Amino acid sequence: MNRQRLSLEQLKADLRAAWAITKKDMRLYYVNPGAIMFGILFPLFMFLSFAVGKDAPAATLIPGLISITVLFSASSIGPMVIPMERRVKTFERLLSAPILFYSIILGKTLSGFFYSLAIGVIPLLIGLVWFETQILSVLGLVLGLALPAFCFAALGIMFASFPTENPGNIMMLLNFVRLPLIFISGLYIPIESLPDWGQAVAAFSPLTYANDLVRYALEAKTNYGVALDSVALLVFTAFFLFVGSRLNKKFRK
Amino acid sequence: MENVIEAINLTKYYNELLAVDHINFEVKKSEIFGFLGPNGAGKTTTIRMLTSLTKPSEGTARIFGHDIQSETIIAKRYMGIVPEISNIYDDLSAWDNLMFTGELYQVNKSESERRAKELLDMFGLFDRRNEKAKGFSKGMKRRLTISMGLINNPQLLFLDEPTSGLDVQSVLIIKDVVRELNQRGVTIFLTTHNIEEANVTCDRVAIINKGKIAAIDTPERLKKTIQSVQSVEVAFEKASPKNLKELENIPLVNEVRKEGDKFRLYTHDPANVLSGLWEYAKANGLKPISLNTLGPSLEDVFVRLTEIHVKANRRDSDE
Repeated sequence: MNRQRLSLEQLKADLRAAWAITKKDMRLYYVNPGAIMFGILFPLFMFLSFAVGKDAPAATLIPGLISITVLFSASSIGPMVIPMERRVKTFERLLSAPILFYSIILGKTLSGFFYSLAIGVIPLLIGLVWFETQILSVLGLVLGLALPAFCFAALGIMFASFPTENPGNIMMLLNFVRLPLIFISGLYIPIESLPDWGQAVAAFSPLTYANDLVRYALEAKTNYGVALDSVALLVFTAFFLFVGSRLNKKFRK
Repeated sequence: MENVIEAINLTKYYNELLAVDHINFEVKKSEIFGFLGPNGAGKTTTIRMLTSLTKPSEGTARIFGHDIQSETIIAKRYMGIVPEISNIYDDLSAWDNLMFTGELYQVNKSESERRAKELLDMFGLFDRRNEKAKGFSKGMKRRLTISMGLINNPQLLFLDEPTSGLDVQSVLIIKDVVRELNQRGVTIFLTTHNIEEANVTCDRVAIINKGKIAAIDTPERLKKTIQSVQSVEVAFEKASPKNLKELENIPLVNEVRKEGDKFRLYTHDPANVLSGLWEYAKANGLKPISLNTLGPSLEDVFVRLTEIHVKANRRDSDE
């Protein structure tokens, strides 16, 4: 009974601590030049460099812009913040607190999640105001923003587990993964137009399912269906968090 | 008396390097326990294992009877940790730094606010509570770090080099607070390079060298183990560097060190050295302006214990 109560108390304490970490990160790092550079400007220019001059109505490009923005903004916070906190030893402050390591991971993931939601809404608003984008499924849109934001934030945390004190090292490593994802996930070429091998490769990219959800929400088109997209993103999230946690434990030894 | 810390066969390897070598010790309730050692001796690794920041390769530690590896969270609830580097959030105010730490340690908001006021006042930072910490001096940052380590009202406080390189005001405030905390029953585990600080502050000290505990006892008992290292301290009105060599020739003097404007002559027989010194001064026309006989200091114990190992190692490597 006592043990049970202790566990429940601990769970509450861990959730409160995770939320405290998220709030602190929001205050300290959301307007950091690195977060603006990697979370906003980088995806915008990446997108423009491939989309400008393309013979397609601007409205059809909005889902891709949303997906790419969510990917970059969510996955940038962890890799930027954690190495910086390692360098000034404030990450050790979190590690020495009486909370489970998972609550630190959760707090950091939520930091990327909320940042990404706030940034991801910007291209949506641009589409709604200037390019006649319409929201055809509210549920699809909520899932299409929230699940990828959490999933890509977890991807960033996984990469941030590598024990470096230099954010640039992690960003470089992360871009080896993020940039290829853009080309294999149906952002510029619809999945159905890809050859069989291309479609097979796309199935291993979380960005494929994120983009599919956003397209469903704004264009009522989907390759995999909302349920499969959602489950796939949840599985990727669990995988990133698990690997991130294992890497952290391994490197802390 | 209850053991607050029990280190049991605590060992840490970094690949092939044995950083901490099967050490055992206990720290009792309400004790100020000093942990001394030269750089690289294993002090920080030990403190990191005791606070669960580093996993031991072998052995374990108990904090208030709770195993640091299997009951980590419960053990950590007893602790306040002040690391060697002041790890505060520079872009938060002193007040917000304390509030955030309170949230991490599950201190409720009203209690956090009460404690924060009390601690900021105690450490002379209350008037600057709303300023961002990046504008603070090194000493103020250190005081804020210690305040953050105390926000959860810990029963055990780990202090890693608390006064190293600080201004006099900060050192005095920190020393005062440590004394007051200890009087309230808080157990303190202190690592320091400042041997004199350990001598006047600690109930017991452990000296670690090359990952092994070289000695562990009260400062006075440790000094008694090297009674042969007594000394005569003399200051002459006019002295020159050549006096150093000449003083070594006085019978029964083992070693002479120049310490500021004074010479310290090490011997096991201060009475006979005094008469030799008197004759030397008379013969060379030197006028002593101060003369003291001194027992061994804790620093002497430290040097003796750590030098023995260094010399042994040199011999080993020469061979």
